[in-house]
Amino acid sequence: MNIEIIAQMVVSGALMGLVYALIAYGFQLTYATSKSINFGQGELVMLSAFFSLTLLNIGVPYWLMVPGGLLFGAALGLLVERAGVRLALQQKSEGWILLTIILGLLGFSSAENIWGRDDRPFPTPISSDALHVFGINITPLEISVAIGVFAIMGLVELFKRNTLLGKAFEAVSADRDAAELMGISATRTIMLSYGLSGMVAAMAGILISPITTVGPTMASALILKAFAVAVVAGLDSGFGVVLVGIVLGALESLTSFYIGSGWREAPGLVLLILALAVRPNGVFGKATIRKV
Amino acid sequence: MKKTLLATLLLGMFAAPAFAADAIKIAISGPFSGGSAPMGTSMRDGAKLAIAEINAAGGIKVGAKKLKIEVVERDDEGKNERGALVAQELASMDDLSGVIGTVNTGIALSGDKHLQEKGITKIITPAAGSASMTQWANKADKPGVKDLSIFRFAAHDGIQAAMVVEQAIKSKYDKVAILFDSTNYGASGRDDLIDQIKKQGNKIEVVATEKFNIGDKDMTAQLLRAKAGGAQAILIWGIGPELAAVANGLAKNGMKTPMIGGWTLSMSNFIDNAGKNGDGALMPQTFIEEAITPKAKSFIEGYHKTYNVDRIPSPVSAAQGYDAVYIFAAAVKQAQSTDTKKIKDALEDLKDPVKGVIATWHHPFNHWDPANVETHEAFRSGDTVMGMVSDGRVVFANQADRDRLKKNASK
Amino acid sequence: MLKRFLLLRGAEIIVLMALASVPLMVNNTYALGLLTLLAIYGILLIGLDVTVGYLGQVNLAQAAFLGLGAYAAGLSATMLGYGMMASLSISMLVGLVLGGLLAFPALRLDGPQFALATLSFSALSTTVLNEWEGLTSGAQGLSLSRPTWLGLSMDAQGFYWLCLLMLALVWMLMRNLLASQWGRAFEALRDSPIATDAMGVGTYRHKVAGFALGSSLGALAGGLYAFNFQYLQPQSFTYDLMVILLLGVVLGGRKSLWGAFFGACLIVLLPNLLSNKLLFELISAAGLLLAVVSGVRAWKSKSTQHFQILAPIVAMGILVVGGFMVENTENWRKAIFALMLFSVVVGLPDGVMGYIAKLLTRILRVPPADIAAAVSLDTVLPKRESDGQTLLELNDLQRYFGGVKAVDGISLKVRAGQVHGLIGPNGSGKSTAVNVISGLYAPSGGEIRLQGKRLPSGSLLKVARVGVARTFQNLQLFGELSALDNVMVALKGVYRTPLPLLLLGLARAEEQRAQGEALALLELVGLKAQARMAAKDLTYGSQRFLEIARALARKPALLILDEPAAGLAHPDVQVLITLIKTIHERGITIILIEHHMDVVSELCDVVTVLDGGKVIAEGVPDEVKRDAKVIKAYLGVVQDDAPSDAVDRKEAPAC
Repeated sequence: MNIEIIAQMVVSGALMGLVYALIAYGFQLTYATSKSINFGQGELVMLSAFFSLTLLNIGVPYWLMVPGGLLFGAALGLLVERAGVRLALQQKSEGWILLTIILGLLGFSSAENIWGRDDRPFPTPISSDALHVFGINITPLEISVAIGVFAIMGLVELFKRNTLLGKAFEAVSADRDAAELMGISATRTIMLSYGLSGMVAAMAGILISPITTVGPTMASALILKAFAVAVVAGLDSGFGVVLVGIVLGALESLTSFYIGSGWREAPGLVLLILALAVRPNGVFGKATIRKV
Repeated sequence: MKKTLLATLLLGMFAAPAFAADAIKIAISGPFSGGSAPMGTSMRDGAKLAIAEINAAGGIKVGAKKLKIEVVERDDEGKNERGALVAQELASMDDLSGVIGTVNTGIALSGDKHLQEKGITKIITPAAGSASMTQWANKADKPGVKDLSIFRFAAHDGIQAAMVVEQAIKSKYDKVAILFDSTNYGASGRDDLIDQIKKQGNKIEVVATEKFNIGDKDMTAQLLRAKAGGAQAILIWGIGPELAAVANGLAKNGMKTPMIGGWTLSMSNFIDNAGKNGDGALMPQTFIEEAITPKAKSFIEGYHKTYNVDRIPSPVSAAQGYDAVYIFAAAVKQAQSTDTKKIKDALEDLKDPVKGVIATWHHPFNHWDPANVETHEAFRSGDTVMGMVSDGRVVFANQADRDRLKKNASK
Repeated sequence: MLKRFLLLRGAEIIVLMALASVPLMVNNTYALGLLTLLAIYGILLIGLDVTVGYLGQVNLAQAAFLGLGAYAAGLSATMLGYGMMASLSISMLVGLVLGGLLAFPALRLDGPQFALATLSFSALSTTVLNEWEGLTSGAQGLSLSRPTWLGLSMDAQGFYWLCLLMLALVWMLMRNLLASQWGRAFEALRDSPIATDAMGVGTYRHKVAGFALGSSLGALAGGLYAFNFQYLQPQSFTYDLMVILLLGVVLGGRKSLWGAFFGACLIVLLPNLLSNKLLFELISAAGLLLAVVSGVRAWKSKSTQHFQILAPIVAMGILVVGGFMVENTENWRKAIFALMLFSVVVGLPDGVMGYIAKLLTRILRVPPADIAAAVSLDTVLPKRESDGQTLLELNDLQRYFGGVKAVDGISLKVRAGQVHGLIGPNGSGKSTAVNVISGLYAPSGGEIRLQGKRLPSGSLLKVARVGVARTFQNLQLFGELSALDNVMVALKGVYRTPLPLLLLGLARAEEQRAQGEALALLELVGLKAQARMAAKDLTYGSQRFLEIARALARKPALLILDEPAAGLAHPDVQVLITLIKTIHERGITIILIEHHMDVVSELCDVVTVLDGGKVIAEGVPDEVKRDAKVIKAYLGVVQDDAPSDAVDRKEAPAC
């Protein structure tokens, strides 16, 4: 088959893969501090996108809408932590899985009723007229997605490395008990991680919406892939998610081209089950030793 | 515990809202939530608009009394299982005169048997999948039902596919790609298209048959396959959001290939989300939201005002829901009864023409013949026109159709 | 006892009879449709409860098994022309096999990873059903007609009774299974997989069996589902449905057949409850009342956190207020469901049925189940004659973690009938050595022999099965099981009834014997009176003793006690010493890791001292205490005037 087509498939797929990676990165943030993830993360992406769309509709300029949307996402993240995660973590139970699913359901239903069940376009100043680079079609909008993904991940990493709060974050991730002995509040750090994770989800929503449109179900397909990316890479793999995201995205495109478009979802799922079977902690994850 | 449980059970089951004895009870069922909700709610709201008009005029004269129409709304969520339960519930209502609705073909397949068993009259609208009616027809291995209480008021996929293929031939395309979504609707649309291409003399070669899932946003793979095969047009069967993704994908990949597809290309969520990329898409339409006739004008304005919108989410669904109610009302009037079986007989032989927003309906249905599904289908290809997306609205693709409809209405 | 039996069985029979008689009383197709679905979902949720409740894993694959089962039955009936029972059997088989296949990789995981693996499986199975058009007709759906059963054609009523019969059967079999060793094993591995293996029960095989069982019930429900709706589409079995199912189980109450049944009622009736506004307002008001009442009670007892009290009240408050504000409650169905669930998960962790059951137990004064009388200790732990031969032998045992040589070439011999002390400062390798012996870690080098035979390496289960039992320094009890059940899980040599008989409830005698033996062991450690208490509610000291009783239930040749006195109050230490002496007298060889030197001195025949992963001294306690190397290891430096009992005073705190 034509090399240009393959290149086009890989590029288009990889760009979607970056969005998976960004959402997966949101899982990592909370997993690092609390060994928990928000199963309703897709709803955070969607709610933040709707909220940002509302900001645009009431006349907030695009570049002011972005921080507004991010703040909203962070607030939702904090809410999830407070209502769905904290109690379960204190009880050392896995109740958070259920509670975050439940909160997601609540968010989904609320969005359906507040903003309607229909998909809506998300205006953006960035052009979506294709550029031709080496025979590959790519739009500035897609490039902006890639830039946005790396920008927000970079910012969060910088924050983690260079601020006091960020270092507390790293300390709790490394060893929660030891960090607590040093006077770092694990609860607050976990709150912080959920806030950051919500913000990352909001960023994903704002970035992807102009391409995918905004609707209650906009993230349900994305989120499954993001799960797959997070688990295949390992929930503590850092930038491993980026690599796995890109590979998975490209693989999906190629699968639907060569095997059949109905099988698009299959490689991610098979990969996930295989990865879990062979390397339960992910390709880039750290192995854990059973302790008694 | 047992007591409360039983009480809940019983209360929940039998607590249907109380109805006045002197009323015509009609159920409207469809997906009012979930992915197909724009069609379901438009259909419901169009139907309710007609009902409100009829009731405002005092109702329908049955015998000595004028009876008003009362509505039971049931959300089937677009889920087969729910649809079957809704149908069972409706079938168990003794005083129900009829049912209007259903968007998803799967629900017609899983639910309608319960209505048919009890002989409850139902007008399917706007579900277009062929299987909704062919399930009752004669098949190679078993005969169809003798007496059918299910009617359809929608341009079924067979008609639509025929028009789409005709259009493709008329435009002198000889290579096309078929894109369809992975639901029942998409898959049966694909089969109808392939069938029609054969029927119309195999003048067109299908170079790619590609599928997409509900929620897919990246159509690059499917479109590149079409491009690689040299497709000159894309024949497409899906619903709004994914259709928009295809239109946007075409633009992104620098393809100018035109789209021709089912009536769903007129859904607002296609038009909005595709923006200028959607311009030029062609689809068969039973109704176009353009006030070319006084009836259409009053319907469109009424809808906009009552539901506080400036565009109907799915004009076809709304108009069909509206006309279906008037046809049903005409049957009640002719039968002079609220009995669902008598209404069915009247529907099969409507004497007076019914003035609707889509057309004036002359004898839309005939006595059921399992060898000919058309007997219970209201639409012929003549009732359907080609619409085209232009600048965010659906307009008549051919000026001739517009003039013809205008002339018919003024007759 | 009789009262309990009558109440429990009576409730089941009355509800079953009531359900069965509905079609005779009212002729309503809709009611019949709902009840049929109720029976089907009942089976489905009972299956789901095996993984979610008993195994404690968030399983997101049950909707997929419903679908796979439905297609299996549908295709058997349409393509192969099978009858009702044959098709349903095929369904179950498909569920069992695929469930087993999924379980092998997936059950090595837990927590979120397991949830994700099952989620992927669901998505994958939907894709396959949708894409394999040649077999399943894909998205177009599969229409089928109900096959006959024993030559009878099934009308709606007959089919309902069939579903109800299936539910009753599943109920009965599952009740028997879950009340047996199987049920205990499921719960045990949820609370502590490590201890489950160490007690010779086998975490993995029970997990796989449990998951396969739950899946096959899901698939059976799927078969019935297929014949009920007679039309199948792959999209019916997606994540959406799964969430509702999962939440149904949790709302009804985990680990309870009644809970699953209640959850099924709720799922089936929910849309109807919501379409009637008055009913909805009543329910939400009742919910608020319940939240407030139980909140006030919890607040008085000060046992729960404020969040657990306030959150349900707030959630139900939103529901009540929202009910008045929203015009069409049906549009908000998912949100309403979510709020109700949120309140239940936070406020009533045992689910609605769990709460009601507790309440009814109190109101009706339902007596707890009887426990068989304790047998004599001689039957449980017959005295062994010890020949003084070498029982356990370590040859140059090594275990490295990366570069850390935790155990670096230990060789020692433990003679039968002795209490062998293993001491050393923190980090000297005692615990690692014991973990290698008991199979938690595979050795990096060297060998272990028990009675001359090589000990299986790296498998807690295999080691446990050849007669080594252990306790844990950090307690590994099965917290939610009663003290009695903790011991019964581990009991060796009692459970012999084959599965089919057990399912039919024919294992009572065996159960009685197990209770008697377990109670004897509890009596030995002084916990007979607390037999019914959940292990997590026992005092810390009692928990330590319970671990010993549980280890004894293995009737071991070698018992490893890993710091049994850690954290014990002084009087308890005395009791412990007496207990260990009693055990010793029964001829059981003991390896004792301990920091308390007085305990070691009093009990041990021989002591081996470790430091830095190596043996630095061995001998009778008094000798060892005076060994210069030992003193140096404990104090860091050797002072000339170091008192001979330096080690005694350096009683390291338990870690």
